[in-house]
Amino acid sequence: MNLAEIQGYVYLVMTIVMVGVLYSYIVYLYRSEKKGEKDYEKYGNIALDDNIDSKPIEDMPEPKNEK
Amino acid sequence: MQSNAAMEYDYSIVKLFMWTTVIFGFVGMLIGVLIAAQLAYPELNYLLGEYGTFSRLRPLHTNVVVYGFTLSAVWASFYYSAQRVLKVSIAESKFLMILTKVHFYLYFVAAAALVVTLLMGITASKEYAQMEWPLDIVIVLIWVIWGVAMFGLIGIRREKSLYISMWYYIACFLGVAMLYLFNNMAVPTYFFSGGLGSIMHSVSMYAGTNDAMVQWWWGHNAVAFVFTVPIIAMIYYFLPKESGQAVYSYKLSLLSFWGLMCVYLWAGGHHLLWSTVPDWVQTMASIFSVILILPSWGSAINMLLTMKGEWNQLTENPLIKLMVLASTFYMLSTLEGPIQAVKSVNAIAHFTDWIPGHVHDGVLGWVGFMAFAAVMHMAPRVFKREIYSKSLLDAQFWVQTIGIVLYFASMWIAGITQGMMWRAVDEYGNLMYSFIDTVSVLHPYYVIRTLGGLLYFVGMVMFAYNFYKTATSGRKLETEPQFKSPMA
Amino acid sequence: MFHWLEKNPFLFAVVVFLVIAFAGIVTILPNFAQSAQPIKGLKPYTVLELAGKEVYKKDNCLSCHSQLIRPFKSETDRYGQYSLSGEYAYDRPFLWGSKRTGPDLHRVGNYRTTDWHENHMWDPKSVVPDSIMPAYKHHFTNIADIETAYAEAVVVKNVFNTPYGDEIAEGKDAYNKHFDATILPEAKKITANMKKADIKAMVEAGNIPEIVALIAYMNRLK
Repeated sequence: MNLAEIQGYVYLVMTIVMVGVLYSYIVYLYRSEKKGEKDYEKYGNIALDDNIDSKPIEDMPEPKNEK
Repeated sequence: MQSNAAMEYDYSIVKLFMWTTVIFGFVGMLIGVLIAAQLAYPELNYLLGEYGTFSRLRPLHTNVVVYGFTLSAVWASFYYSAQRVLKVSIAESKFLMILTKVHFYLYFVAAAALVVTLLMGITASKEYAQMEWPLDIVIVLIWVIWGVAMFGLIGIRREKSLYISMWYYIACFLGVAMLYLFNNMAVPTYFFSGGLGSIMHSVSMYAGTNDAMVQWWWGHNAVAFVFTVPIIAMIYYFLPKESGQAVYSYKLSLLSFWGLMCVYLWAGGHHLLWSTVPDWVQTMASIFSVILILPSWGSAINMLLTMKGEWNQLTENPLIKLMVLASTFYMLSTLEGPIQAVKSVNAIAHFTDWIPGHVHDGVLGWVGFMAFAAVMHMAPRVFKREIYSKSLLDAQFWVQTIGIVLYFASMWIAGITQGMMWRAVDEYGNLMYSFIDTVSVLHPYYVIRTLGGLLYFVGMVMFAYNFYKTATSGRKLETEPQFKSPMA
Repeated sequence: MFHWLEKNPFLFAVVVFLVIAFAGIVTILPNFAQSAQPIKGLKPYTVLELAGKEVYKKDNCLSCHSQLIRPFKSETDRYGQYSLSGEYAYDRPFLWGSKRTGPDLHRVGNYRTTDWHENHMWDPKSVVPDSIMPAYKHHFTNIADIETAYAEAVVVKNVFNTPYGDEIAEGKDAYNKHFDATILPEAKKITANMKKADIKAMVEAGNIPEIVALIAYMNRLK
């Protein structure tokens, strides 16, 4: 088996893996929302309610103080 | 500290980049109109002696609009919206305050140096990467500073989740960094020849076909990571904010993001169809270009559907008009591009005016309109003044829209006409036209294109005036507007 | 499963980078060594030709002229044999261009002469009445930067193993020697076919104007 062939197979496998990951991401997005674990659409509000004293959609684990 | 009443977002850096957006936009488009006119009326080549020919000015036009106008608008939008979606002010960190200023001034100096060196004819000759090696180093430095500022801001954020715009900005940063470094690999000749010749000169590390592949890997993806990715970042922030409507489907925006990342980089080879690069690279580039329609349209449809139920805003708010038309042009050019990337179409389209036509649907319609809308959305909040004139903004919209239509319609016809004439043969199989026949026939289209470009430039002047008046004499605002930008 | 991706900016950046780098690794790397092989008998550019290539770059001729003949009958009829990868092995950077406002130049040396170029660069309309190309009169007054071209030859010889002889070597002395022995005589061969007396005089005096270098490069394109 020459180098080009190996490259071909690596490429094929990588592409299948990436397609698989992308699709499972889609499934993950919709399923986790259906099961009520996550609510993705609320993140859309990050742009709408964006004053500096607005309450974050999700707080950081521990508050960061200004230096 | 969450309720620090005195805390405010810091817009000093945003203001600087907004001004350069306007200045570089004016200069870049003015040169654009001039070189368009030179093709129709060649006498215009002699206005500035050696420095005024089409060939010298063309890279100046592309570089000033790409790295001057567009990047300024991107950085203004980034420093504005990143603070807001991360809910952290640059002013909270002295380090970031200084760093962002260094970013701006270094950028300004580099841009000025770029203009001077290109006029002098000091060039590495690779499209959209003409800068010679000393400038390349400065640009890398600027990019690193931006990266530090970006991740610095992310590091001190209050909002845990990164908004989708931030994803795109990060991708823009990484993509350009990787591609730029690889494409500009060169050996400065002065230091490796015992001190001979010009210190500015360098020689590419890649030769011939390899150089072409690396260059168009960059060239195409500069389009991806400067003209597409950060502009999507902008519209995902500014369209919801201006309209008061959350993104239609946040999940779709995440998917389109990964789709775009997976597919975009493969398409670069479509600039080299029928050339000496290996066939399989060409075919793959063709196929991936067509697949690219999916994530592109995913983003575009998501933007348009964000306006669902609120289409009345389209008639009331010129900024919404600009952004909706921008999304529409994004859809148009991301459909047109894949069509041109089909090998049989490319055989006719390549090397003709259809290609600049395609680029300009994208940059005038999509990038330009989005930049204008972003700057005008930020202006009232940054300067705390009302937008100077709504009717001027409306007029600008229509003048520029007509300009774009004239531009791309004439270039479509010119490109296909020329492509067909190059290959036309008579009944005996001899070529029917000499090359100059295929140039002379384009004259009327070059005139129409110049007119279209001129209209767009007139719109740019209206915009610059409107912006200047807003910044200096718009009616003062007491409180920051929440959604719709106030305009007189 | 993908939760970490959306919450950790650093990991997110790493994943984005891997995804976008994948394409480059697959499409560019495999053919790198192979595409760099010159075709049989290909000579590296002479220093004068390299200087001409610099003029070509400086005035950005590639914004309107391609150097890539595609494998179609209409193109081979018009411009000659279609381009082969190995012909570009010494082109750093490649100068294929992306737009043909003017005709392709990859084999222009086969059908245009020194004399034709001299007239054309001075006034394109004198040979092609409908031409929209600007005149490049400054090529007749500006002196070509031969030393930088020589420096480039030294670098491509030392760093990229381009097969130059021993006459291409580091340092000013080697340059001066090569200039007198090779570059100037080559320039004089070109001016012998040119008609402008002042150009001939400049070359006699040891100053090579840009037009001479450019013509040397144009004639080389075959």
